[in-house]
Amino acid sequence: MIEAIELTKQFSEFTAVDKLSFTVNPGEIYGLLGPNGSGKSTTMRMLLGLLKPTMGTARINGFDVQTHIVEAKRSMGYVPEEPVLPERLTGWEYINYVSDIWRVPRGSERDEEIDELLTLLDIKDASDDLIETYSKGMARKISLVAALIHSPKILILDELQAGIDPRGAATIKEILVGLSEKGNTILMSTHILEIAERMCDRIGIINKGSMIAEGTMNELRVKAKGHESLEEIFLDLTGGPDMQRIADFLGE
Amino acid sequence: MLEDLLILIRHDLGGILRVRNVKGKRSERRSAFRRLFRYVAAASFAVIILWVIIFMVQLLGWSFFQTAIIAGIDFGATIFNFTVIISFMGSIAVSVATVANSSKMEYMMCMPISLRTLFLEKTIVVVFYNSLIYLVIGIPIVIGLAISSPVPFAILSIPIFIVMLLGNVTLGVAVGGLIGLSISRFLAGRRRLKQIGWFLGTSLAIIFSTFYYYSLYATDSGFSQFFSVILDFARQIGLSSDFSPGGAMNAVTVRLIVGLPVNLVDVFLAVLFVLVSILLIYINAIASETAHYSGWLASGSKRSSKREVKIAHTVWNPSDVPLLKMTTTTSVSMWYNTASVRREGRVLANYLVGPMRTVLWFLLIFLAPGGMMVSFAPFIIISAMIPFAVSYGVYFAGYELVYEGKNLMNLLLAPASLTDYVKGKVFSAVPFTMIATGIASVLVIFVQPSLWIYIPAVLISSIFLTLAAGGIASYSAATGGDFKAQRNISRQRGAAVQMPIRNMWAMARAHLLPNMIGFIGIGAILGIGIFLNPLYSYLVVPLFALICIQLMRSYVGKSGRRLQTIEASEYL
Repeated sequence: MIEAIELTKQFSEFTAVDKLSFTVNPGEIYGLLGPNGSGKSTTMRMLLGLLKPTMGTARINGFDVQTHIVEAKRSMGYVPEEPVLPERLTGWEYINYVSDIWRVPRGSERDEEIDELLTLLDIKDASDDLIETYSKGMARKISLVAALIHSPKILILDELQAGIDPRGAATIKEILVGLSEKGNTILMSTHILEIAERMCDRIGIINKGSMIAEGTMNELRVKAKGHESLEEIFLDLTGGPDMQRIADFLGE
Repeated sequence: MLEDLLILIRHDLGGILRVRNVKGKRSERRSAFRRLFRYVAAASFAVIILWVIIFMVQLLGWSFFQTAIIAGIDFGATIFNFTVIISFMGSIAVSVATVANSSKMEYMMCMPISLRTLFLEKTIVVVFYNSLIYLVIGIPIVIGLAISSPVPFAILSIPIFIVMLLGNVTLGVAVGGLIGLSISRFLAGRRRLKQIGWFLGTSLAIIFSTFYYYSLYATDSGFSQFFSVILDFARQIGLSSDFSPGGAMNAVTVRLIVGLPVNLVDVFLAVLFVLVSILLIYINAIASETAHYSGWLASGSKRSSKREVKIAHTVWNPSDVPLLKMTTTTSVSMWYNTASVRREGRVLANYLVGPMRTVLWFLLIFLAPGGMMVSFAPFIIISAMIPFAVSYGVYFAGYELVYEGKNLMNLLLAPASLTDYVKGKVFSAVPFTMIATGIASVLVIFVQPSLWIYIPAVLISSIFLTLAAGGIASYSAATGGDFKAQRNISRQRGAAVQMPIRNMWAMARAHLLPNMIGFIGIGAILGIGIFLNPLYSYLVVPLFALICIQLMRSYVGKSGRRLQTIEASEYL
């Protein structure tokens, strides 16, 4: 379970996240949506214990991330928005490295598990190459393998699908849905609203650091009367494109 | 914690010290020579040193060595303190850089290890890199002397040397890291003040340590009196050597080899320094962790006591200045280079004051014999301008060109000549050479007023030397630069700023060729003046300037052409 209780993060006079509260229950996929700079990544970093909240509490699996950070991290897997990985290691070496840190017992069972995940995500052929040769999509896939290798109960995924090929995206979707059915807790942020609409059990839309709407797709439809798709709801709540400026730019 | 630390170190070093090619087909296949060269070279070097020492001891006899070492026993302390100071100087911003870049290593930070462990491991890797060269040189010397020495327990000096060396380097790195973090803490968010703080801090560290060594050699210098207070205090409390980490190391290693008595106070002090260094590296990790969580070091942090003020820069186009015709690309490049170097006080200080370290060795060689060479001191100071002129060219045109790797795609796509762009980088070093040589000129006139006649010649020659050095360095950067340098924390090899030119020959060309041109050219200018007529010196200056300009034009042209064809995979 993920709990954000009145999470607040201030940078000088700028409030990146403002008293944000939400809960992600076991077996649930929760989509955190919002425009660029709305505070999604900052929220995720506070949940991961990478940033200290100015106010509020973040709990992972019952552990307060400020007081029990290592225990909280043990049950988590995380894929960052821009995975900067150790470029001088091969994909295989990197996964072994992560497995060692997570104390996944060495041996044939672990190797088979790694092999299976690499094959599943279509990067087995590149696993003996240095990570510096990987494309962005491949780096994301190897990050997902690293996040899954220790079978975490909780997954936090920041823009995972961006830059991943359709086959890979479909595979990831199936894996995540399967994991949630097995009782795992998944928090994901994405700009691909179609994915969020199809995959997430509940969605939270944040803007300027505050939660402006939260609920299942049906609940959001009720809140944003007259709108059917998530894209319409999202644009209605966060503001659509400035048509006048676009027309000016195009010289019409 | 210890287990996590060992896993981190093993994987971190495993990737860097890789000997075999990886199996993957996408990765570059390196020849056995390239893969093994550094290890074979280091091992051969160590074996040769060991063999030479053993051979010399057999040839001259142990008593010769024993007498020589005992006569200059304090020299060991100087050498060992040098390792501490160099480690300190190189690490003054290492913790700050690691913490500031932590957002780029989220893959590690989300692992179930405390950030303290993570930062501790990063600092240990820095210690490893800093110690490596001293271990490669020092261990065979100590082994050679210890096994040749008939003194009982001399062999013990080998493990003691290794432990003390690692301890001393750790001390330097940890103190440097802590000072860097302190500066950043006190000046958090105050960009301009932080720049000034970094500049002054780094400059003072370089100048202080340079003078420390100068004072040890030139004993009649006024600076030695300042340091003698510390040395007297050390003797009063019963130390065999001075009251410094190098002194303590000297007392328990070199004295042990030659059979001089080792006091209990010396042993106590040596153990104390090792313990202090362990404590300090741990405190450094705690401070880094605190710095990370507080957010005052995060890159792009907006923590400031004042409102953000947008600074608008105008492009300086010196084309209006007579005789300074240059294209807009060149003037933009000049302005951009100066602005980007100025933005980081520590880098600016390292660039401007850093050559003092090279000059130091230069001075030591000439001044170590004592009074014999004193009459040459003004000429030595004049010649000391050469490393400054060369270094500025290398830094501003060579290093900066590589660090701009992330911008290379924009440059390649821009409708501008890269040769003109590189030229701007070379020109940007000239004002700094003028300032440095100007200051050195004042010093020369102060030391020996009669030498004023040579000052304009050397000043002008230095400017042209900077142009040649910049041109040569830009070509070395284009051919041997690692354009991904500084782009990524995981590629950092411990140093706060990694060496941007990785290719060995390119690096050698960038540094050696311009220095050679400088010493031969300016040496000839001075020599002709001294032996023939001072006015004749001025006849050689135009010739020297012409050669330098031709060198610059040739190398800058080649550099521009090479950059134009560079492939995206080299910088992306």
